[in-house]
Amino acid sequence: MPLSLELSNLPDADVAALARGGREAAFRELVKRYERPVFSLIYRMVRDRELAEDLAQDTFVKVLNHIDRYRPEFKFSSWLFKIANNLTIDYLRKRRLDTVSMDGSPHAATAAEKEATSFDVSARGESPLDEIESRELGGAIEEAIAKLRPEYRACILLRHVEDKSYEEIAATLDLPLGTVKTYIHRARHELRDALGHLKS
Amino acid sequence: MNRHLLPEEIDQLLDGEVGFGTTPLKQHVRTCDECRAELDSARALVSRLEQLPHFTLSPDFSEDVMQRVHVYVPWHAALASMVRSFIPQQRRWRAAAWAGVVALASLMLVASLWAVTRLDAVLFVVELAYDRAREAGAWALSNTVTALFGSTAAQALDASGAAGVALALVAVLLTALLAVGALRVVVAGARHR
Repeated sequence: MPLSLELSNLPDADVAALARGGREAAFRELVKRYERPVFSLIYRMVRDRELAEDLAQDTFVKVLNHIDRYRPEFKFSSWLFKIANNLTIDYLRKRRLDTVSMDGSPHAATAAEKEATSFDVSARGESPLDEIESRELGGAIEEAIAKLRPEYRACILLRHVEDKSYEEIAATLDLPLGTVKTYIHRARHELRDALGHLKS
Repeated sequence: MNRHLLPEEIDQLLDGEVGFGTTPLKQHVRTCDECRAELDSARALVSRLEQLPHFTLSPDFSEDVMQRVHVYVPWHAALASMVRSFIPQQRRWRAAAWAGVVALASLMLVASLWAVTRLDAVLFVVELAYDRAREAGAWALSNTVTALFGSTAAQALDASGAAGVALALVAVLLTALLAVGALRVVVAGARHR
């Protein structure tokens, strides 16, 4: 039986152990398993396809080059998402991209600040990549998610898109369990407010 | 329960928490239209979130990642992989290979048994081979030393006997080890740059 087929049946911890043993096929298997979830999380955080691919690539390179630091008592996916989230949040902090909400920064105190940090869709170029992005992230729910604070966004995406438990999210984001519950509660509340038409 | 559900209680039901604490909440929802509507709305949101798709990346993503990953293969893993590469994939060829290994092992066993019964002859052959190898080694070493350092050094080595040869070999080994160490430092430096 080919090695790749055998690997696809193994749990993450075993594949990570094989990767630690220098098996290139195991590295590829880990990328194959998580490239889409990691990319999707980052893409919804930064809302830029090219940038999201770069950050996802950095995430995998960091994880795989330091696979010897992975401790099998933790879930591999939690470790991976933690690094993805840290890289993304670092990037957002550096570039202040958390202000790329369509309606301006949630931290803006005055109307002028709000205006300065607002995001004008019509001002963007009409490249094919922009078209793909607007098709992928143009839905009402995606736009509502984009308006959430990055911390709320990470929590709600990990909970409902990646199906992580509260405990896993707390471990992934290095947050107390109570804070994770509060963030998810507030995120749901804000999303329901933004998507008022859901109330039937 | 004669009040509406608190937001965190709606969350509890939404997360499907079970147990004694949620029973009165569920009972309340059955009788209170307002709280039921609230819970339904929250469930609709969660359902929409859960249906959000994973996005597809560019086809080169995996290759781009692998080009930046340093796959370090430990020697034992490399050895195991090499051994595995010699094992045929097809069952009948694998069986044939096993049959060959068993036949070779049997032959070696018979040869070993024969050698044990003819120990004097075996010892004679081993001693002869050892002498020939020692002579060849000494000749090669003497020639190498002559070529590298001249005939005076070769004569001095001959005169010093086994101790001199051992000393010369240790010096060569130390030089080789130092060279390997220096190369590793250079390679590590280049990798960090």
